[in-house]
Amino acid sequence: MVIEDHPMSVLAKVNAAVHRHNRFVQQQARRARTEPAFRKKLMRRWQAVRDGIETVTTPTGLKLPRLALPQTEEPVEVARYLFGEGLPGEFPFVNAAYPRMYMGTAEEPTRLFAGLGLAEDTNKRFHYLTQHQKNIRLSTAFDGPTLYGLDSDAEGVFGKVGEGGVAIDTIEDMERLYAGFPLGDEHFSVSMTINGPAPIILAMYIASARRRFGPNIVPKLRGTVQADILKEVQAQNEIIFPLDASLRFLTDMVEWSTAQMPRWYPISISGYHIAEAGATPVQQAAFTLSNGFTYVELFRARGLEVNDFGPRLSFFLDVGLDIEYLALARVCRKLWAIGMRDVFGANQRAQLLKLHTQTSGRTLIAHEFKNNLTRTAVELMLGCINATNSCHSNSADEPFTTPSEEYVRLAAHAQAILLEETGLFQHMINALGSSPGMHIVERAVQEAILAEFAELDRLGGVLAAIEHRYQRSQIQASALRYELQIQDGTRAVIGLNRYRDPSERIPEVTVVRAPRRNKQRQIDRLQQFKRRHARQAARELDKLAAVVERGGNVFAQLIGAVEHCSLGQITARLFELVGRYRPSV
Amino acid sequence: VKTDNILRILTAVPICDGHDSAITTVNLELVRHGIEVVYLGYHRSARDIVRAAIQEDVRAIGISSYNGGHVEFFTELVRRLRRQGAAHIGVFGGGGATISPADARRMKRNGVDEIFFAGTPLADMVEFVRAKYGRARRVAASPGLPTTQNPKPGTRCRVVGLTGPGGAGKTTLMDELVLRWLTKNPRSRIGILSHDPSRAGHGALLGDRAAMIYSQHNRVFMRSLATRGQPGGLAPQTGAWRKRFQQAGFDVVFVETVGTGQEAMPFTRHRVDTAVLVLSPDYGARLQLQKIAMLDVADIVVVNKADAPGARTARAELQQRLARNRHEQKLLLTVAKRHRDPGVDELFDLLQRRD
Repeated sequence: MVIEDHPMSVLAKVNAAVHRHNRFVQQQARRARTEPAFRKKLMRRWQAVRDGIETVTTPTGLKLPRLALPQTEEPVEVARYLFGEGLPGEFPFVNAAYPRMYMGTAEEPTRLFAGLGLAEDTNKRFHYLTQHQKNIRLSTAFDGPTLYGLDSDAEGVFGKVGEGGVAIDTIEDMERLYAGFPLGDEHFSVSMTINGPAPIILAMYIASARRRFGPNIVPKLRGTVQADILKEVQAQNEIIFPLDASLRFLTDMVEWSTAQMPRWYPISISGYHIAEAGATPVQQAAFTLSNGFTYVELFRARGLEVNDFGPRLSFFLDVGLDIEYLALARVCRKLWAIGMRDVFGANQRAQLLKLHTQTSGRTLIAHEFKNNLTRTAVELMLGCINATNSCHSNSADEPFTTPSEEYVRLAAHAQAILLEETGLFQHMINALGSSPGMHIVERAVQEAILAEFAELDRLGGVLAAIEHRYQRSQIQASALRYELQIQDGTRAVIGLNRYRDPSERIPEVTVVRAPRRNKQRQIDRLQQFKRRHARQAARELDKLAAVVERGGNVFAQLIGAVEHCSLGQITARLFELVGRYRPSV
Repeated sequence: VKTDNILRILTAVPICDGHDSAITTVNLELVRHGIEVVYLGYHRSARDIVRAAIQEDVRAIGISSYNGGHVEFFTELVRRLRRQGAAHIGVFGGGGATISPADARRMKRNGVDEIFFAGTPLADMVEFVRAKYGRARRVAASPGLPTTQNPKPGTRCRVVGLTGPGGAGKTTLMDELVLRWLTKNPRSRIGILSHDPSRAGHGALLGDRAAMIYSQHNRVFMRSLATRGQPGGLAPQTGAWRKRFQQAGFDVVFVETVGTGQEAMPFTRHRVDTAVLVLSPDYGARLQLQKIAMLDVADIVVVNKADAPGARTARAELQQRLARNRHEQKLLLTVAKRHRDPGVDELFDLLQRRD
């Protein structure tokens, strides 16, 4: 059922649709009680579902059903489960997006995150990390200048070149970054954590792939670029163009990639940075989902089909230690599915909230840092109970250094222990879902998220609320409260405000740094590139400017421009045309 | 020479770094303890930070760094301060996980006063700032204003007052005007007096600089002033600062008030050449419009955010309201957040032409 357009805003429509769905579930429950024919049909289906579950034998010889279901013959409860939660992989996907959850996943759920120094350093690291892997999933971190769309030779950024991520200035750096990897292989995918200049960086990726493999490579490229500009304004601050222009460039990119790159995820709608900036779990969920619905509205306004781009949206959430995380992702999947189906008329593939989860960095501390192993393990478990589709676990040493190989390995192994060694997730699908406590948290969290939607709607929607600095001020207030709770002890942090070892010192470590001569090398070769391409660059930039002024699709033009222009040359020209992002405090 | 006993510091996040969560929390805590904090925001170059610190005459610069490159960045800050004769301004900071104890030792050897590590209680930080930089000091009558350039004879310093309710976009509008002034008058010098309210019994968060892009410029001298208990939207030192700008031969001075209420008439005591009232279309019901005192005396009324719903109604209502006044007043519609907005161009022309 699609609701016809009327003056209601998208979030108000989502709210109404969720309430309507909840009423529908109650109604089905009532029918299960009062209508014998309905009940009979329902219970026949229930029986069929149960009969269809295969039996598995654990290593100890215990026989168990493959899928854990509520043990009930009570029709009302059966109706609530089937309509209100859905079997794993069934609407509204509370239990899981896909029916098999962690059974027989073809790919490791781990992504290997790296980025340091020059492109060739990171490339070497990528090859080292993936030497024994069949499925290669690279995740790329960029250095500060790249994240802000500046060249390595920009004034005042020397110290930042290659720090915390890889320095990418030109298409030649992009070629070096993924050299030796089969970009079009179905077992290869790449993820790029970049937002403000995301369209330019993706254009470099496409152009460099074409250089190596020819034009037919483009539809085969698999991967993700974060490109979530709304959360940048609300939390992470890595936006460089004014919001309207940023959203236009993003939509240009989504339009192009939806048509040309069917296996690419052009945006990762992220709550992680919102939560890390201080948001409560409910704020994280509410702001992330509302951002997601805003993108859908924007892309549709461009004339894109929800069933074309919907399946190419993915989500990225934080999982911390607060009790909300017992059910947060479950609620998110439900609200997204209902919104996509009932407000935007999306089909099932476009209703799924596909989720990457990362354990919380904010819950980790430097004091007695090995406790972080426990924190991360618990968070991982919460993530898996919530049926996340993939997960990144943080290294215990992160609060005081660049993760060392030892702790990166421990973090990755924590996932393997949870999924492969313990019996919790490998025999029975959804063994831990749908507990009474989970249901209670679900209901409370859902209500709180819907109340936040209503508030955003009152402010005129997500974009208007941004202008009022609503999300920022809410996140900041929560961050301050969190700090004060740690200070006054109402929020326990073991080893910091409880059971602290007074003799404890933060370990001295050597941090990996990009050497000075490498930074200089990057600058030298960038300047050579600029000299070599000076004439064509000027022409390409003029062509780009013309497309911007004409209102055409900028992304298509960028793919040509990166052949001759550096990142900083492109952003500088765009700044002239559309202005710079004005920070919001 | 008088004694200044209110502690002012400047905080910022380095260039290519957007991690402002920690500094935002620290700012609020410092303000709560009576300190005036000029916040420059994130992704700021060492050059911009040092320029701002000197203009604002702060006692210290606090930097929250996360994205690496901190040894170079902090060192560059100290070096620039020394080179520009401002070695009396202290530098301290923190970087959570990313600054190692060895880095911290190096940075201190290079002249940084203190580096805080992850897990430092806020109270310790406040205590440090107060102990290290909090002693009352004697100040010169005119600190900070550039004295190298002599006033050009014959130029008159034009004073433009900007007032209006909070959230109407005064700061954005001012920054856009500054951009136009800088481009159209390649040698002009521009002064800005920006006001923020002091919190009762507390310090003040002076945050306008954080939202400014074009005003971080060598030809712009900006001073953030806290109201320090003075009602009316301006500060006790506003008049003195205005005079200083005039004496130093600045071409134009923008005076931006705090967000004001209906009864405010900030430019009756502090005269300005042009008084601009900035409103957003959601100023409330028509009845409220009758009560805005500034509407009677403003030379120019600007409806900013003219792309928002209700802008046309606002213009019609304001036109009616202004028609009752006897003197000539201009009414303009702007979208200051839009790059190259024609409404802002029009306002700029009007301000330049006025004498």
